[in-house]
Amino acid sequence: MEPSAAKAKPQGRLLVSTPLDAKDELEERLERCVGIVQSLTNGLSEREANDALTANVCKGQQQHEDVCLGLFCLVLTEPNQAQRSYRDLTLLSRDGMNGVLVKINQILMEKFLKLQDVSRTQLVWLVRELVKSGVMGADGVLMTLMKQIAGGDLSSKNLWLAESVLDVLLDQKEWVVKSGMLVAMAVYTYLRLLVDHGTTPLLVLRQKEVDFCIAMLRERFMDCAVIGRDLVRLLQNVARIPEMELLWKDLLHNPAALSPQFTGLLQLLTARTSRKFLACRLTPDMETKLLFMTSRVRFGQQKRYQEWFQRQYLSTAESQSLRCDLIRYICGVVHPSNEVLSSDILPRWAIIGWLLTTCTSNVAASNAKLALFYDWLFFSPEKDSIMNIEPAILVMHHSMKPHPAITATLLDFMCRIIPHFFPPLESQVRQGVFNSLTFIMEKRVLAHLAPLFDNPKLDRELRSMLRERFPEFCTSPSPPTEVKMEESVSLEMDNHVLDKEDGCYDTTEAAFSDDEEEVNNKGKKQREFRFQPIKEEIIEEPADITPFQDQLEDVMKEKVLQLQKASDAENQCEVMQEIVDLILEDDFDPEQMSTLASCLAELFKGHFRGDVLPDDITEESLEESVCKPVCLVFRNLCTMQEDNSGFSVLLDMLAELYQKQPKIGYHLLYYLKASKAAMGKMSLYESFAQATALGDLHTCLMMDMKACQEDDVRLLCYLTPSIYSQFPDETLRSGELLNMIVAVIDSTQLQELMCHVMMGNLVMFRKDSVLNILIQSLDWETFEQYSTWQLFLAHSIAMETIIPILHHLKYKEHPEALSCLLLQLRREKPSEDMVKMVLSRPCHHDDQFTTSILRHWASKHDDTLAEHIKTQLIKNNNQPRKRQSLRSSSSKLAQLTLEQILEHLDNLRLSLTHTKNSFFSQTPILQALQHVQASCDEAHKMRYSDLFALAEEYEDFQSKPLKSRRKAAPASSPRSRKGAAPPATEEESVSSSASEEEDSKPKAPKRKRKGSSAVGSDSD
Amino acid sequence: MANPTAEALFLIKDVKPGSKNLNIVFIVLEIGRVTKTKDGHEVRSCKVADKSGSIAISVWDELGSLIQAGDIIRLTRGYRYASIWKGCLTLYTGRGGDLQKIGEFCMVYSEVPNFSEPNPDLQAQSNQQNKSVSHRRLHEYVMKVRRSTDKHEYMFYSVS
Repeated sequence: MEPSAAKAKPQGRLLVSTPLDAKDELEERLERCVGIVQSLTNGLSEREANDALTANVCKGQQQHEDVCLGLFCLVLTEPNQAQRSYRDLTLLSRDGMNGVLVKINQILMEKFLKLQDVSRTQLVWLVRELVKSGVMGADGVLMTLMKQIAGGDLSSKNLWLAESVLDVLLDQKEWVVKSGMLVAMAVYTYLRLLVDHGTTPLLVLRQKEVDFCIAMLRERFMDCAVIGRDLVRLLQNVARIPEMELLWKDLLHNPAALSPQFTGLLQLLTARTSRKFLACRLTPDMETKLLFMTSRVRFGQQKRYQEWFQRQYLSTAESQSLRCDLIRYICGVVHPSNEVLSSDILPRWAIIGWLLTTCTSNVAASNAKLALFYDWLFFSPEKDSIMNIEPAILVMHHSMKPHPAITATLLDFMCRIIPHFFPPLESQVRQGVFNSLTFIMEKRVLAHLAPLFDNPKLDRELRSMLRERFPEFCTSPSPPTEVKMEESVSLEMDNHVLDKEDGCYDTTEAAFSDDEEEVNNKGKKQREFRFQPIKEEIIEEPADITPFQDQLEDVMKEKVLQLQKASDAENQCEVMQEIVDLILEDDFDPEQMSTLASCLAELFKGHFRGDVLPDDITEESLEESVCKPVCLVFRNLCTMQEDNSGFSVLLDMLAELYQKQPKIGYHLLYYLKASKAAMGKMSLYESFAQATALGDLHTCLMMDMKACQEDDVRLLCYLTPSIYSQFPDETLRSGELLNMIVAVIDSTQLQELMCHVMMGNLVMFRKDSVLNILIQSLDWETFEQYSTWQLFLAHSIAMETIIPILHHLKYKEHPEALSCLLLQLRREKPSEDMVKMVLSRPCHHDDQFTTSILRHWASKHDDTLAEHIKTQLIKNNNQPRKRQSLRSSSSKLAQLTLEQILEHLDNLRLSLTHTKNSFFSQTPILQALQHVQASCDEAHKMRYSDLFALAEEYEDFQSKPLKSRRKAAPASSPRSRKGAAPPATEEESVSSSASEEEDSKPKAPKRKRKGSSAVGSDSD
Repeated sequence: MANPTAEALFLIKDVKPGSKNLNIVFIVLEIGRVTKTKDGHEVRSCKVADKSGSIAISVWDELGSLIQAGDIIRLTRGYRYASIWKGCLTLYTGRGGDLQKIGEFCMVYSEVPNFSEPNPDLQAQSNQQNKSVSHRRLHEYVMKVRRSTDKHEYMFYSVS
């Protein structure tokens, strides 16, 4: 065969192909058919051609198909003749276009990505014509075409497709609504695509999409309701769009307006979403690849497939939204057979773990978690499948050891979603999650949940939250085994990175294979998941107390109605005081409390909107701001003694209110700080927290600060100093709280907080917890991290306290922390620990952190640095050496090896070349180098020959004054003076000649070293 | 995924030094560095695998630039052979060697054993083998490529 055969391959007109691509059979077939049609019609008039084709079609099945496909292909490749070819096709086809529809589907499913631009345009045109002619099966083709619109893809081709298909749907609305399934599929598709189309240039398209969705949802709601609970998920994502907001109002308060058969949100939420919809948002190519991974790829072998998939579909910022589709698809559609489940095929949870850990945006992470747990919320064992809820529990279970942060963030989500998903349905969500957990244990997916819920790897707050929410799942049946399991973890963790085939680590029962977790061994590029509370949209009820007022006793009802009518704040306060008095009366029925709280929450709704903190903070303005009726309850509390029985009644009242209106928590904090009447009563908040359903100060404080952060950043800053000083035990150890603050403040607010710190009004870090918090901060956004460091630096905490953070800082991944630390270290005199930490950094030729700080110290503190380096060199000289691979840098326990020190020293040497710096002529360094050289192997001698050459010239520091500008060089340790000559160094010959920097070195005559290592006592 | 042709399909594990006219389907794992020949051709060394193991392959010019990790490729009759350099088995394609992309992603492979890892047994045969190869010019070129890419590794072995 000719070598150039590949290049001669003709380019087809239908598909884009490169010389590498194999010939496409379908394309060849279609082009053959075009040839047949052309040979039949060549040189004929339109009418003659028509007759010729008709005659041919009548000859038989094969001829019919050839002509139809030929005309079909002409439609796709010859826009000028398309109209005519299509007309011929409709006239000639005797199977209702069935053969053509089959080929269209085949092209859509297998070749769409490779279609030439012209053919793609023509294909959409053809589908539109099929729809216009009302061809049977056109709805199916249109649905397949919709499937090609990729989620999370803003490329112009994809946007064009989205718009073109939408135009067909809008133009042919009458036809569209005839097919319920098409309506539902189109609504599902475009509600999802709306999320991607939020940027300004796409607003015109988005408006069209909104109009279409709204029209369908309003006119054909029951067709859309077929979708099930994922319809609510999609609607929640777009609830901010005004038209959607209106729809939400009806969904919540007037379901019958949408359809007489529609009873309300719960009807949707309890209906499991059909696989058709979950699958429709993946393109055929994505689907094929995911299915391949979950059915053929062995666990442990998935890394490259994941990389390829990620490269193709998940590498852009806009593609983040695709993760939810993928997760929903895996949970709801990919249900492997028992055979696959019991094999060593890549389990679903591992793919989910990968999707979660590679998520880079917080919004996407939050949505991804919701997607993972979505079937939990209203789970019913009768209607739902265990397969839908199993991935979430297994990803938590399997991540506990290698990635506890993931497990923690998911457990945290699971707890918080219960009250936050939709407050009016809290009890249903609680039941759903409870059902899921019970079913998981029944089906033995996990035999016990205690090892998951009550695991020492989780932080205290999370565990207490879990205990409080799920007491029935937290009792461990056999604590001793758990302890044992924990012990083995730390030992195994480090091996992971290097050895993926490391056998099982799992001792608890799991339904799936127990192979080594490999999901996240992607190492350096991975960002650990952030531990952050969720941000869910809360759907708001309008102010309306009619459902409640009739349940109140008459006196109270009258007061409440009076309150509703009260015109101004003063008037309201008066009535409110009367209500408080009523509550405090002995005959007040506690049963009424909840109803009353509902009324008050509704009535005060307005007070909780808008800013609390006055623009101009003065004594008067503050005092004025706390004159709202709701503050009256606070004021009453402040004036009471804690042992007063009324005190706890009022607290109960607030706790009830808190359930309906969580903002009251930070309003109380504000009141306690701003009001003169509350001076020194900040601790009252603790009593309040204990009275709430949360029952604990920490959780309550975090929730309130979070709510405050979301509503009013200024207020958050205003409260920060008091919160930190009043509740140090809750705040100083909380990375979560700090992140809340730094995530939203601007530079002015940062500066203000720093001043508070400098003036002693604010303490945000303490010695015992600062390191931990800084480590947590490494995953935060850049500005958040810089702010954290600025705040830290405003405190005067010794560098020694935080220097161990260096172990956690990876080159390229943590530039913020590295640069802050670098600038800080430069102001310090090096201590032994610092030098050790700095040298422990893995060597990477682009990572100049160590070299730059060493260079700086070498000029400012050369003697101290020399001593410390000597100590490290000698200490590490006798340890067994192994090659330091770059990969092991991801291990948290950075091991200091001799090779590493030498590498860093060599870099320092190179960096000091051509400078006057004489760091390397100092006695301790030369001694240590000689010492090391004496005992290291040939490979190292070769590799660091230039470095060792420096010591070559050093013979006996006493006999010859060194050129060093330091005169106090002999400050070496006493033992280094022992002049015992070690054996085995005589025949040392380093062949490489010393390089240019020789100039700056003492000009000792070059000769064979006499084994005068002054540190001989250490060798052997 | 495309099916192999009617011709007998070779597995990578069955490739021996001197094998010719190989008919193999593999998936591309890594694309190596590009090297230029004296007369301006580009050659890439790629790591490819099938279910029996992995091997290095050299790909020329345009085809090399079109290949991506994850591609499933069929190598059919044409101008290529297997040879060894320093005990490392390598597949060579000529310029215009007959490689065809027949799919992507969906192929199970095993990265081990890597048949291009140095093998002392093969090294012993290598000299003889070299003589028997008819495409001498190509081979010399390839040796140069290998030499330049393996330089670092080679030094490492001789030191330790």
